[in-house]
Amino acid sequence: MGEVGLEAYLFVGAVLFVCGVVCMATKRNGIGVLMGVELVLNGANINFVAFSRFTPLGLDGQATALFVVVLAAAEAAVALAIALNYYNNHLTIDVDRGNELQG
Amino acid sequence: MTYLLEQAANGIGGTDGLLFWVFAILSCVGAVAVVATQNIVRMAFWLVVSLGSVAALFFLMHADFLGAAQLLIYVGGTVVLLVFGVMLTASGHTIKVQTSPAETLLGGGVGLLLLCVLIFAISTVNWADISQQIPAAGDSPAIVDAREDASLAESLSVATTPEAKATAEKALAAVEARRQAGRTIRQLGLSFYGLRPDHMNSSANAASAPGYLLPFEIISVHLLVVLIGAAYLARAKRRVTPGSGTDL
Amino acid sequence: MDFDLFSVVQRSIMDPQSTGEVLRTLLTVAWLLPLCGFVAEIYWLRWSHRLSKSAAYSAVACIGIGFLCSASALVYWGVQTNWQALQATEHGEHGEHAEHEHAEHEHAELHQPADAAKAEAAAHAVDKHEHQQAAVGEEHPHEGNHAVAPKFYSGSFYKLAQFGSLIVSLDWYIDSLTLVMFTMVTFIATCIHLFAIGYMKDELTEEYEDHQVHTSHGHFTRPGRFHRFFAYLSLFCFSMLGLVLAGNIFQVFIFWELVGISSYLLIGFYIERKSASTAANKAFIMNRVGDFGFLIGLMILWTWCGTFQFADVGAEPGLFTMIRGDNGNGVMDVSEDGQQVFLHDTHGHRLETDGKPSSIGYLLLIAAGCGIFAGCIGKSAQFPLQTWLPDAMEGPTPVSALVHSATMVAAGVYLAARFYPVFTPEVLLVIAYIGCITLFVAATIALVATDIKRVLAYSTISQLGYMMLAIGVAGWGAGLFHLVTHAFFKSLMFLCSGSVIAGCHHVQEMPQMGGLRRKMPITAYTMLVGVIAISGLALPIVNIGFSGFYSKDAIVASALAYSNANSVHMLLFVTPLVTAGITAFYMFRLWFLTFYGEPRDQHVYDHCHESPLVMTGPLMALSVLAATCAWSWCLTSGSGEEGPLYRLISFSATVPADAAITSVGPAHVTLPSHHDVHDVHGQAGVLALLAAVAGSVFAYLMYGVRIINPADIRRQFPGTYDFLVDKWRFDVLYDAMFVRPVHIVSAWCAGFDKKVLDGILHASASITMVVSRWDRLFDENMVDGLVNMVGNVTRSIGYSLRVVQTGRLRQYVMWIAVGVVVLFGVLFTSMPR
Repeated sequence: MGEVGLEAYLFVGAVLFVCGVVCMATKRNGIGVLMGVELVLNGANINFVAFSRFTPLGLDGQATALFVVVLAAAEAAVALAIALNYYNNHLTIDVDRGNELQG
Repeated sequence: MTYLLEQAANGIGGTDGLLFWVFAILSCVGAVAVVATQNIVRMAFWLVVSLGSVAALFFLMHADFLGAAQLLIYVGGTVVLLVFGVMLTASGHTIKVQTSPAETLLGGGVGLLLLCVLIFAISTVNWADISQQIPAAGDSPAIVDAREDASLAESLSVATTPEAKATAEKALAAVEARRQAGRTIRQLGLSFYGLRPDHMNSSANAASAPGYLLPFEIISVHLLVVLIGAAYLARAKRRVTPGSGTDL
Repeated sequence: MDFDLFSVVQRSIMDPQSTGEVLRTLLTVAWLLPLCGFVAEIYWLRWSHRLSKSAAYSAVACIGIGFLCSASALVYWGVQTNWQALQATEHGEHGEHAEHEHAEHEHAELHQPADAAKAEAAAHAVDKHEHQQAAVGEEHPHEGNHAVAPKFYSGSFYKLAQFGSLIVSLDWYIDSLTLVMFTMVTFIATCIHLFAIGYMKDELTEEYEDHQVHTSHGHFTRPGRFHRFFAYLSLFCFSMLGLVLAGNIFQVFIFWELVGISSYLLIGFYIERKSASTAANKAFIMNRVGDFGFLIGLMILWTWCGTFQFADVGAEPGLFTMIRGDNGNGVMDVSEDGQQVFLHDTHGHRLETDGKPSSIGYLLLIAAGCGIFAGCIGKSAQFPLQTWLPDAMEGPTPVSALVHSATMVAAGVYLAARFYPVFTPEVLLVIAYIGCITLFVAATIALVATDIKRVLAYSTISQLGYMMLAIGVAGWGAGLFHLVTHAFFKSLMFLCSGSVIAGCHHVQEMPQMGGLRRKMPITAYTMLVGVIAISGLALPIVNIGFSGFYSKDAIVASALAYSNANSVHMLLFVTPLVTAGITAFYMFRLWFLTFYGEPRDQHVYDHCHESPLVMTGPLMALSVLAATCAWSWCLTSGSGEEGPLYRLISFSATVPADAAITSVGPAHVTLPSHHDVHDVHGQAGVLALLAAVAGSVFAYLMYGVRIINPADIRRQFPGTYDFLVDKWRFDVLYDAMFVRPVHIVSAWCAGFDKKVLDGILHASASITMVVSRWDRLFDENMVDGLVNMVGNVTRSIGYSLRVVQTGRLRQYVMWIAVGVVVLFGVLFTSMPR
């Protein structure tokens, strides 16, 4: 049978997480930043499910992952609404233009 | 790193292993493509690829309900939402917002560093020892499955008589059927009530463990509130800004 | 010696207690009515209007009813005492009575069973009026009808307060002097009130134009103050009557001050005139000087005698009893070394405290007497403080009449007379000399004065000097006799001058008058009555004259007796004698200048007119009394000192002068007895009459037929003339003595303030400034520096950290990633695993 173990899934999760972070850090498009967030969440989800599968924790990981998925959906909805309002206010989706928080 | 080399040495290893590698690589490539692509619509496409692969990985880990939820919610819901967002906000000049190469380079460097740190951290941990230290645990589902598979295969191999062989094959088929029937849905449903079928055989019976019903209800309400809020926030507002035009 | 006329009503004397109460009630009504009038009149505009004369009628009604009450009290008293005052006139007889007057009799016999009914009645009265503490002086419950009437009645209205043993109360003290004063004051005040209705009628307007006050818009105009004038008059009468009725020295002081404030209000009636307000202030301040002495005397008496009462209250002796004892001969009980005067109780014994006889130092008694007399000096305008009186002419003429005859100045003489028992012979000597100086100085100034009211003012001062002199030379009765007669003729003359002024439209200078008798005959001839009265003229041989003749005669006689007894003090006789001539001269000068001869100012003469009846009526009434008040009521008795007025007054003499008294004090004077005075009476009368006739004739020669030209005399003695016109330069003297020194001292004080005190202040201020400047430097550099440094450091850190807060999302994410990497790197490298 397959020798694919916990670590392989964790590596995949790590790659997705890093990609999400880099996406968030480099994309100037607000939607792109949101996509990075989705990637980060999916990386974390892979980890949860992997732990559920390969450790005695059992279904706890899956349940958490489920919650994460739902939260991600909620977050996406709110974030898109925010993005739309941002676009309405700034007439652009470039997050670099929204520097009101500058000290 | 050593593990990867070990894997490569051992070959791909079975159908599951092959599928894992395919979807793992696909998801990673999709993720990297999301980062690398500058066009927002393409980014969405690559995101779909990556998330779909992740769903496949879930199936591979026998989390079939979660995998289905992943496909439904992410690929079917969230990404469509994102694409709607792209459509609503993309107006020619904003469909491609270039990131400066220096920033890309910096982001890539930091990302690589972070990846190294994570892989290093993952690979230095002895996960088997960690599993033993978890108090309420029996064996992990993967080990249970493997043990079942091994005993079934053994009974199949030792079966000399046709009857025995038929019985063994029937048992194997029953196990496969059970697995195909999506046991995690029922188990997840029970776990919401605090019943843990996966822990039935463990010494520490967690009959009194709290269920996920209350958090589930909370998150459902939360989702409702969020959707209403989103609808409120995103509702079309008539902007009266002379000169700037009405882009919406 | 009994009079047939009075023997009809002669019977046993009624209960003195009830007599006293009736008298008290009548006089209290007379006293309080003007107060009610004052209260009503001051608010008169509330229920009447400015053009109404009703306020005047109310005032006249008040004082008129007061006069009726006073007169009926006098008659009632006379009836109750069988007119003993009029009978007991023989000099010897008086002494005889005095022999009997031992209080021991009274107190012993009052409780005898034989007299049980009487005692019971008395006790009943006492029970009924416990708080009144009614007491009568010198009761003599002899058997039969030959009881001697009590000399005085006294009691208490109301006890105001008690501080330890000091009792402040409203008391009353009624003797014949009180009654005569009441009748005189209310009568004259009634006349003056009536006169004032006519005189003040130009105040009956909404817009009174004061021709003597100039403003930028011409003459000053104000609403008329008719009602207020009568309110002040009523207050004045109330104060004076209260003073006369007062039963203790403290109460006298209260009304004394009330009289002062009333006069202040009236003298300053035309308050808008600078001269009037200044005169009012002057009168008030001059009186304060005298009152200071009064207060000192009051305090001495209180400290050593412990009471303010005149009369005895129960067993508590009053002032008179304490000082004079009750032994009837009027001699003070002086210790052998002449240093102490022993105090007496009501039984004639010496008062004792802790077994030792209590006493008052003789010098202290002199000081007390001089202090109280200082008050009289101020009030009666005697020598050092006389300058306020002429200035007080700024008030309306009826005020002058009231002030100069019956109220204000009379108060001083009245007090001196009332306090006679407390005065030692030394004090009397001081009084005599003060009076002597005053009468001469004032008379000489009157010689050259041309303002008709000022002449009268100086004559008043001079006549007051006569009264003081009389009291000083033991002519107690003579002085008060002159007070009453003078009140009549002086108020008459003032009202006449007021009539002249009103008729001549406020011309007061005599050189502008002349010949007015043809225009205003009633005024002229009533004035002549007054002039003759004050000059002391009489028909020789038959010895009939106007009232002034008798009273001045009595004074000169007392003075002659005094100087006979003390030849050192000859001046006390010569001066009044000479001044009698001067008086006659200037009074006739006044009359001749005003009414006789040819008009000197045709304009004034043409416009002058006789006053209406409301003004001339009082003149006639007063002129009758001025002429006749000293006469006998029936031909069987003599006039003057045998007349009823004098007898009435001298009945209340508290110190009988039956024998000459030689002082044991430092002055060593001898007070003459009645006999001594009587012996020289004829001699003095002739001399005084000669002087008066000489003065009158001289005045006639100069101003009547103008044989002698006054201008020649003026040219002959220019220095003397200027000196007199300048009023003996008293104002200049006071200016130099008091005003200028005060100015100099205050300049010094101002200099001291400016140089020293201000210097200290400025120095301390600049020191404070230097210190605070240093403090400021410290604050700014050290304290603020520290605080600012903290602030600046925080601020600069914030500024440097601000760079990090770019507000760019992606950078934050990057930092997070970098942070995670660095954190992990640190963890993995530093923590061995």
